[in-house]
Amino acid sequence: MLRIKSRKLSNRNTSSNELESPNLSLPDDQNVELSTDLAVNEKMLRETFQACSDIVFRPISSNPKVLLVYTDGLIDTKTLDKVVLARLLFDGTSREFNGDPVSGQIIQEQLVAISQVQTVSTFDDVSDGILKANVVLLVDGENKALIADLKGFEKRNVAEPEAEVSVRGPRDGFTETLRINTSLIRRRIHSPKLKIESITVGRVSQTDIGLVYIDGIVSNAILAEVRKRIEQIQIDGVLESGFIEEFIEDTPWSPFPQIQNTERPDIVCASLLEGKVAIIVDNTPFALILPMTFWTGLQAVEDYYERSIYTTFVRFVRYSLLNIALLLPSIYVALSTYHQQLIPTNLLISIANSREGVPFPTFVETLLMEFMFEGLREAGIRMPKAVGSAVSIVGALVIGQAAVQAGIVSAPVVIVVATTGIASFAIPRYNFGAAYRLLRFPMLVLAGMLGLYGIASGLLIMIIHLLGLQSFGVPYMSPVAPQIPPDLKDVFIRAPRWSMNNRPAFFSGRNKKRIPEGQQPSPKRGEKPND
Amino acid sequence: MTRKRCVSFCLIFSLFFISGCWDSSEVNNLAIELAWGIDKAPNKKVMISAQAIIPSNISGSQGSSAGGANKEKPYFVVSSDGMNTLDAVQRMQTKLSRKVFRGHRRVIVIGESMARQGIKEVFDTYTRDPNLKLRTDIFIVRGSTAKEFLKIPYPLETIPGLGVLGEFNQVGTLMEMGLLNFLLAATSEGACPIVPSVAIGMNSSSQDKEKQKDPSNAEGFRIAGPGILNKDLKLVGFLNVEEGRSMRWVAGNLNKLTISAAIPQENGNVSIDVNKLGNKIQPVIQGDKLKFVITLKGQGAIRENNTNLDLTQTKNITILQNALKKQIEDNALRTITKVQKKYGTDVFGFSDALRRKNLPFWKSIRKNWVTEFREAEISVNAELTVRQMGVTGPSLHLNPTEIEK
Repeated sequence: MLRIKSRKLSNRNTSSNELESPNLSLPDDQNVELSTDLAVNEKMLRETFQACSDIVFRPISSNPKVLLVYTDGLIDTKTLDKVVLARLLFDGTSREFNGDPVSGQIIQEQLVAISQVQTVSTFDDVSDGILKANVVLLVDGENKALIADLKGFEKRNVAEPEAEVSVRGPRDGFTETLRINTSLIRRRIHSPKLKIESITVGRVSQTDIGLVYIDGIVSNAILAEVRKRIEQIQIDGVLESGFIEEFIEDTPWSPFPQIQNTERPDIVCASLLEGKVAIIVDNTPFALILPMTFWTGLQAVEDYYERSIYTTFVRFVRYSLLNIALLLPSIYVALSTYHQQLIPTNLLISIANSREGVPFPTFVETLLMEFMFEGLREAGIRMPKAVGSAVSIVGALVIGQAAVQAGIVSAPVVIVVATTGIASFAIPRYNFGAAYRLLRFPMLVLAGMLGLYGIASGLLIMIIHLLGLQSFGVPYMSPVAPQIPPDLKDVFIRAPRWSMNNRPAFFSGRNKKRIPEGQQPSPKRGEKPND
Repeated sequence: MTRKRCVSFCLIFSLFFISGCWDSSEVNNLAIELAWGIDKAPNKKVMISAQAIIPSNISGSQGSSAGGANKEKPYFVVSSDGMNTLDAVQRMQTKLSRKVFRGHRRVIVIGESMARQGIKEVFDTYTRDPNLKLRTDIFIVRGSTAKEFLKIPYPLETIPGLGVLGEFNQVGTLMEMGLLNFLLAATSEGACPIVPSVAIGMNSSSQDKEKQKDPSNAEGFRIAGPGILNKDLKLVGFLNVEEGRSMRWVAGNLNKLTISAAIPQENGNVSIDVNKLGNKIQPVIQGDKLKFVITLKGQGAIRENNTNLDLTQTKNITILQNALKKQIEDNALRTITKVQKKYGTDVFGFSDALRRKNLPFWKSIRKNWVTEFREAEISVNAELTVRQMGVTGPSLHLNPTEIEK
C-alpha cells in the first residue's frame, strides 16, 4: 500500500565536495591515539583549541599529574569542584588507595564520583567530549581519557508553548534542550517500545537529533525512508528543525507543509501512538512529526480533549473558515466586477452605495487592503511588546476607519479583509494557515482577471496539486482521497474515542488495533446479560 | 529542461495579461435598473423607461451622508423610444453615464395602451437576454403609462419598484413568479395569461380623482384587479380586486385570504383568515355538455365576529361556516361567469385540467375551445373548515344576556 518515492541524489553528492574544503570541515588529523605522556597530550589539545577562550585547562599537580579540560559555561562547576577537584587536591592522590599506590587508572575508575563516565583513547573523541559539555580527565602515564558527563549549562525551564495554546490539556512545552524534550515524551509513554535513536547531523555543528518512534506501531517502510533521508543530509550546521524539514520533505516547491511541527509533547505522543515518526532537534523547541496529511493541518490538540460533539461543531466552523480564508476576497472581487447578477439586490445597492467615489477598481482596492493586512500582521509579530500595541491601534484606525472615511477604500472591502484575516487565524497550525494566506493572493489575481471562472480554475489547480502531493509515501489528502472510510471518523467529525478502534491505516505498521471494540459507556456496560 | 519550463511558464502566465479584464465592470459604473417600463410610442415604436437607482442617495451612505434632511430621491427615470427594446436601450444609453445593467430587474410594468395593443411583439428579449431573472414580476399600469408609474414615489420603500412587489406579495399571491407564470400560461394551449395590475394613487375613491389626473402629484400606488389577456397577449379587460382573489383561488395560486361574510339571520358579519388553501378542478363530460366542478378548500381562523353568537357552540360555528361557504361560492361563481361571458378567455387553467383528465375529448374540442369555454356549465363547491375561533367564545364586550348560546 505504501509507495515511497526514493529521492534522487544526483546533485547532492557533487555539492558535498564543497563541504570537504579545509575551511569548513574540521581537520581530521586528530584521529590519533592519546599518548601516555600528559605533556604531549596537553600540547596537542592546546593546539586544537587554540584561541578558544572558553576552553579551560586545569592542571592538578598531584602524583600522578592530572589535567582537567572542559568548556566553561557548559559544565556544572560547583559539582566539579566538589566531586573531582576537592578529592584530588585535599584527600586525593598523595595517599595510598586501599594500600596500593594511586595509579592513573584508579583515579579514573574510582575517584571520580560521577554517574556517567566513558573512557576514550583518541583525540577526536576527547575534543568531541569537551565540546559536548563533558569534563575530560587526563592522567599522566595513561593513554586513555575519562569523559565525565557534568552538563550544567543554562537552559530554559519547561514552559507553556506560546505558539500552540490550548484551553484544556497539558501546559508543558518543549525547550531548547534535547534531553529535556525526550524526557517529556518518555514521561508520557513508559514503554521500552518507545525508541529514541540518536543521529548527529551537521559537519560543523554536530547537532544531535533524536528519531522518535514506537516500535511495533510505526510503519517500518516510513521509518526506513526517514532514516535514509536524514542520513543523506550534508549540511554544515543545523540550528533549527526547519533545516532538517527542508532537506527531507517530498515536494519542496509546494506551498503546503508536508511535515508538521509542534512545541507540544502531547501532540508528539499522540502522533507516535498513531504510528508517525517524530524528529527532535537539539537547540529548538520545535519537533517535527511526519508524515503529515492535509487534515492534520486542521486539527487542534484540544479536539481530542474536549467532548466529541462540540469538537465536531468546532471542526465544521474551522473548515468553513478555511474556505473563507482562501476565497472570500476573490469571491467578492469576482462577484462585484463580473457577476453582479449573483449579488442579492439590496446588497448590491449597498455595495454600489459604498463604492461611490472610491478611486480604485475593486480588485486593486482588495489587493491593497490584503497587502496592508499582511503587513500589519508581519509588523505585529516583529514588534517589541512595548510598541506592539501602537501597531494595532494605528492599523485599526488607519485601515479600518480613516481609509473608509477618506473614501480611499470602501467599507465592504474592509469587512471582507477583516473577516478573511480572522478566518485565516482560525487555522490551528500556523504553517498550514500560512499556505492559505499565501494562496489567497494568486486566487485574488485570478478572480480579478477571470471572475468566477478564474476562481474555479485556481481551485482546480490547487486540488490537483493537493491530490498529487505525498508525504513520505502517504497521500496528502488521505483518508479522504484515497478514501479509507474507517479513518473518516477523525476528519470532518471527531468520533468519540471509544469508537476509533483502529489506527490510521496509512501511518501505522502491522499493529492496527488501537482499542478493543464495545467500549461505549452506558449504565449497563460490563454487566452480565441476565444479572 | 528547467529553462524550457521557465519559458513556457512565463508565456502561459502572460496569457492572463493579454486578455486583461475586458469583461469586468465596477459596481459604481453600472446603472442598476430595478424596474422597467414598456409603453406604446408613436409610429409603432416602443418606449422603454427604466428606474435606475442613485446609490449615493440611498440612506446609510458613507462620505456623502452629511445631510440626511434634504434627501433627494434615490432613483430617477430615463426613457427612450426605439424600434424594439434593445434599440430603445441603446438610445437610452446616450443619456446615462453608466452602463444599463438589467441583471437585477425585479419588475416589468406595461402601460395599459401598450397592453391593449398586445405585447407579443416586444417580449422576446425578456427571455433571450442572459440577464433574465425568472423572479421578475410583470404588472399592467391601469389607466396610465409605465413611464408615469415609474416616476411615482412610494412612502415605505426607497425604491418604488420594490414597493409594487411588496404590495403584490401582501395580496397573498405566490411570490415573485410573475414572469415564469406568465410564460407558462402564454405557452399553454388553452389557458390565457393574467397579469396583475397596479394603479397610481393610494385611493380609488372620488376625493382622490383630482390628484390622479395629475400623476406627478400622486403618492404611491395600489394593486388593482388583474388584467386578462387573450391568446394574442392583448389586454381585454380587468377584474376587480375581489374577483381577482377568487380567480387566483380557483387557479390555485393564492396562499392567504381573508373572507368576510354577512350573517343575515344574526344581523352581523364575520371574517375568517384562511391560510391553507386548496383547489380542485374536475371536468365532467355529460354527453356533449361540458361541466366543471370546482372545489375550493380552505382552513382558517375566525378573527372577527360581529354577531351575538357564542362560538364555543358547534352549531354556531356551522352557521358561520355555511355563510362563509356561500359567500365563497357566490364570489367564485360570479367571477367565473363574468370571465366566461364577458371575455371568453380561460384564465383558470380549465383547459389544462380537461386535457389531463380526458385527452381524446380535449383533442376533439380544442379547435373551438373558446366557445366551449363560454358555454361550459360551472358549479362551485366550497369546503371551509374553521380550525380556530380566536381566544374567546362570545364577544367579550357583550352583556351575558345578549349572547346566543
